[in-house]
This record gives sequence, structure tokens and C-alpha cells, in this order.
Amino acid sequence: MNTRSATTIGLVLVAAGVATMLLVHWMVVFWVPTEAEQGIVQRIFYIHVPAAWTTFLAFGVVALASAAYLWLEDERADAAAVAAAEGGLIFGAIMLISGPLWGRIAWGTYWTWEPRLTLTLLLWFTYLGYFLVRGSVANPRKGKRFAAVLAIVGSLNIPLIHVSVVWFRSLHPEPVVIKAEGPTLHPDMLTTLLTSLAGFTMLFFGLFLFRYTVEFLGRRPGRGGAARLAGEVST
Amino acid sequence: MTLSARGLVCDYGPTRALDRVDIDAAGGSILAVFGPNGAGKTTLLRALSGERRPDAGEVTLNGAVVSGSDPAWRARVGLVSHRTGLYRKLTVGENLAFFGALHGINRDRQMAVRVLDEVGGADLADVPVEKLSRGQRQRAALARSLLHDPDVLFLDEPFTGLDPGGASTLEAMLQARREAGTVVVLVTHDLERGLKLADRAVVLRRGRRVLDTESSGREAEDLLPFFTAGGTRVQ
Amino acid sequence: MMSLRWARLIAWKDLQVEFRSGGRLLAMIAFVVLACFLFALALDRSLVPARNVAASLAWLTILFAATTGAGRTFDTEEEDGAFRHLLLTPVSRHAIFLGKSAANLVLVWIVTILAFVALTSFLGVRDAGSIARHGAVLLPGTIGLAAVGTFFGLMSRHSSLGDTLLPVLTFPLLVPVIFFGATASGRVLTERPWAEISGSVRLLWAFAIGFVAVGSVLFRYLAEE
Repeated sequence: MNTRSATTIGLVLVAAGVATMLLVHWMVVFWVPTEAEQGIVQRIFYIHVPAAWTTFLAFGVVALASAAYLWLEDERADAAAVAAAEGGLIFGAIMLISGPLWGRIAWGTYWTWEPRLTLTLLLWFTYLGYFLVRGSVANPRKGKRFAAVLAIVGSLNIPLIHVSVVWFRSLHPEPVVIKAEGPTLHPDMLTTLLTSLAGFTMLFFGLFLFRYTVEFLGRRPGRGGAARLAGEVST
Repeated sequence: MTLSARGLVCDYGPTRALDRVDIDAAGGSILAVFGPNGAGKTTLLRALSGERRPDAGEVTLNGAVVSGSDPAWRARVGLVSHRTGLYRKLTVGENLAFFGALHGINRDRQMAVRVLDEVGGADLADVPVEKLSRGQRQRAALARSLLHDPDVLFLDEPFTGLDPGGASTLEAMLQARREAGTVVVLVTHDLERGLKLADRAVVLRRGRRVLDTESSGREAEDLLPFFTAGGTRVQ
Repeated sequence: MMSLRWARLIAWKDLQVEFRSGGRLLAMIAFVVLACFLFALALDRSLVPARNVAASLAWLTILFAATTGAGRTFDTEEEDGAFRHLLLTPVSRHAIFLGKSAANLVLVWIVTILAFVALTSFLGVRDAGSIARHGAVLLPGTIGLAAVGTFFGLMSRHSSLGDTLLPVLTFPLLVPVIFFGATASGRVLTERPWAEISGSVRLLWAFAIGFVAVGSVLFRYLAEE
């Protein structure tokens, strides 16, 4: 895919994503019925769940692109990994902020050792490390490799973190355990959720394509005249 | 035996450190690489030794492609740099035994003494490296580089910080290596000394090879114009 | 087999250098004793029974000491550029990782034993459980710690953030080790049946073997130019 078509598709996706998000907000506020048990706060769910979905989608892309980068040393793979990791970090932040807001009302506490919650927090920190490593290593090639290695190790660790948190829960049962979502979802709720999922996903891929293009264009060799004059980069 | 590079390209991020460099270094001769700071001398040496995989182009020995990921190639390479590459807390003998063992050579103390004798440091075997003078350390480092009798010897600014005695030992060693048929590649910014030693001289500027010539009869003044401007002359 | 020989050579060389300079080991030991001392002071034993928290405190002490030590793993390699020459020998990259991890493991064992002895005596815990069982928990746990520390020690070595970065990289990964390790050690300390402990030990082994394998494969991407 050349950069022009990537930008065009990105633009279309971002526009569609933003439009869908506006629609979702209208649906959440005016249209969808209030959940009987949890009341008004349940509406956070329509933002929180799609944000979580997008976060994991993004981190999946990062892990795959990182493995591809180590394998092929292709700059495009690394550009894709960075673009996705940035998205993951942002959507992860949305999820980590919206989750406790809902939990404070629904569970009676901001934080609980709910497996998915803990797992995401740790993953989020791993991807924070991803950017810290990239940014702080003088040799750019080393920085990219280090970040890719971290992304792969971090994603391989997910099952073990999951097991430990599930065990941890079984050791310390929560005083208030409320099921996050009812067994069956009202059709209007499902519609809202699916719309929001679609909006988030389109927005993510649109932003992803934009960032990818910018990353990729910034790396073409021969654009570093100033850096070259500043002296040879050596380690 | 000939070490050749064809179309070597190395990028540091957006900076092109080496731009389609061709090099031929014949066995039994010394090739000196000159150039201003930031010209890509060290990068070239790292690409030739296989420490850094080039982004394009290839390095061959007698027509067979060599790569730093091939242990058989690493076993044939010797390296001297302005840093000693020795462990300070170990004695010279222990350092030589360690590197010898990694090369699969069983070097006992007597062997270490004999290698040290070649570089005029037979009495250093039992002295911890941290207790040595700068010149003595460089002799010990030289002994380590010759330990496994390399077919290809790379020298990265070896004269930096070397006392006159050490420098003449190094020069004598290089002559001996040349007579033994080793491929010797010397990177230095010491034009006078380099030209005196070398059979062939290459000048790099801004990652490009701007001069490749016989060095006999050449004076430092002949090469200096190539450091700043002027055309490309390849003989 | 060749790799194991290389790894042994590298580990032995590292330990020789370590014990001769002594700086890093001494700092780790001093850190552990002081940290345990402070834990004992800070803990109000009239509120919390020491036996119940000793294992968790010991594991955290080991984690912090191991991380501090791991940040210095590659200092001796880099002070005179020896690492470049090490990489230019025929040694395989995973042998370097295994050798340096093994050397770190020895240091971690020293601080581990010290942390347990110091905490149980400072906190006045008697009958601290079977030593063999403690060993069975600590062996896989410390292997995991040492391998992760060595692996990311090289990463932080090249970063301008240095030692500040290391915990950010390792702590999220080490959550399973600390969790299962502290749980299992706590149960050994309170003399619970082995059946309550063996599951954690298995998962500690899973982490240790898994990370040593993954680290061995990926180490060359960290070490090479």
C-alpha cells in the first residue's frame, strides 16, 4: 500500500469513526434504555468495553508487527508497531479511566483485583516501557529492536499474568461481587454496544494509518542531512 | 585471500552512514581507511567484520558471503580498537585464557606467555589488567586479538593513546601479519602513519568512498583535499 | 553441549570478576540487610503477625536487590569495551545469556538466603518451616528473577534512563514470580501441607523455563548491532 492510499483510507476511517462516535454518544445519552440493576452508570459500559477491545486489538498488532520486524528488519513493520502501540496506549488509558469510574458505583470501589483489570494495567505499563525504551536508546536500530523484543516478551507473559490474577482472586474473594453484564443484553443495548465497537475500531485503524504514514515518511533515508552533519552515530 | 565489499549501505535511522561503498582488501597487504569524523569509517569496519549487518550490499571473503551471525566467520576475525576490551579485574593471562577458550583453543599460562612475548609483554601474564599502564594494556589487547591467529584483522584507531614503544610494537606486528598473508584493514585518522604502513588507501567522506589508491608515494597533503570537497577518483 | 561449556566459562569469568571487585555484591548485601532491618522497624507486630508477612517482605526485598544488581550486570563488559570482543568470538548468543544469568543467579541466591535469615531473625519468627521446601520454592523463583534481570539489564544498559528504566520493564513481567513465590513461601513458613504449595511451584518452574527459553532465543536481538 502506498502512502497516498493509506492516507486516503485513514481519512475515510477517521471521519467514519468520529461520526459513529457522535452517534454512539447520542445513543448512550438519549436512546438506549437504562439498565435496571445498575442504573445510569451502566452507560459507561458502551465506552469502556469498546476501548478495551481496541486496546487488545492494538497490542495484538504491536506483537505481530514486532515479531515481523525482528524477523525481516523491515522499517514498515516497525512503523506499524509504533503506530499501533500509540493507539493502544491511548485507548488503554480510556479503558483504565472509565473502568474505575464505573466500578466505584457498581462495585463500591475504584479498584478491584478483577483479572482483566489487572492484566490490562500491567500490559499498559509494559507498553509505556515500550516507548521509554525506544526513546532512550541512542542507536535507533537498537531502540527499535529492544522495543520489539519487549512487546513480544510482554505478550507471551499474558497467560501467566492471567493465571496469577485468577488465583489471586480465588484467594481473596471480593466482598461485593456483581456481575458486570447481565446474561442477556437488551437488543437496544446490544445495538449501541456494536455501534460503539465499530466506531472505536474504525477510529483506531484510521489513526493507525495516519500515524503509520507519518512514521514511514519520516524514516526514508537521505532525510537526515542535519543528523549527518552533527557527526557519525556510533555506539 | 581477498575480503571484498560491494554496495555496502548502512543507515542509522534516517542518516545514511555508508552509501554504496565498494572495498577490496587483499591478503598480505594493509588497507588503510581514512576520512574526517563522521565519514563512516567505524561503520564500515563494523560492517566488514560482521558486527553490524549492512542494510544493503554484501561482504565476501574469496567470493563467499560472510556474516556476523556465522560463528565460523567470527572465528577468523581479529579486532584491535582503542579500547582494550579486557576485563580489568582479571590478570592478562586469565583474560587470554578466557578468550582463548571461547575460540576453542586450550591456552594454558605458557601459551599466554608465548603470545604475549610476540607483542613484547612476556612479563605481564600474572598482572591484573587494572594495574597495567596504557601502553601495556594495549599490548595485552593486541595479544588477545592475535590469540586465535585470525585470517582477517581489523584495527579501529589502534594508535589512540598508545605510547611510542607500543606504537612501534604495533607497527612491527602489522608488518609481520602482512607477511603472514593476513588481510589487514586499518581505520585511522593518523594520515602520516597510516600511509606509511598501508599498501592501499581509501578515503571516505559522508559515507561515500571518494578515493581508492595505491598508497606508495602518497603524502598526507595529497589526501587532504578529499576530506573536504573535490571529486571522486578511483584507481 | 558447546553452549553449556561456553556458558560455564562466561559465568565463571563473571563470578571471578565479581568476587574480586566485590562492589556490587557488597552493595546488594548491605541493601538487603538494611531493607530487612527497616521492614522490621516499620512493621507494627501488635497489629500484624510477623509470620504472615515475612515471606512477602522477603520476596520484595529479593526483587529490589536483584533488580539493583541486574542493572550492573553488563558494566564489567562495557567498561573497556570487552562485550564487542566477546560478541566477535564464535560464542553463541544464548550461551552469553545463559552464562551471565547463571552468574547473576549466584548473586541472587546470596541475597535470598540473607533476606530470609535476616527477616526471620529480625521479626523473631521461630520454626520457619522446612528448609528443603523453602529451597524448592526459591530455586525456580530465583531462576526467573535472575534471567529476567539479566535480559533487561542489557536493555537498560543502552538506555539513557539506565537503572530507572529497569524496574519499569521487569516488574510487570515479574508479577507471576512475585505472586506465586510469595504465596508459596508464606505457606511454607506457616507449615501448610505441600499440596497447597506444589501448584505455585509448578507455575514458578513454568515461568523460569519459559523465560530462559524465550530469553535465549531473543537475546541476540539485544546483543547484536
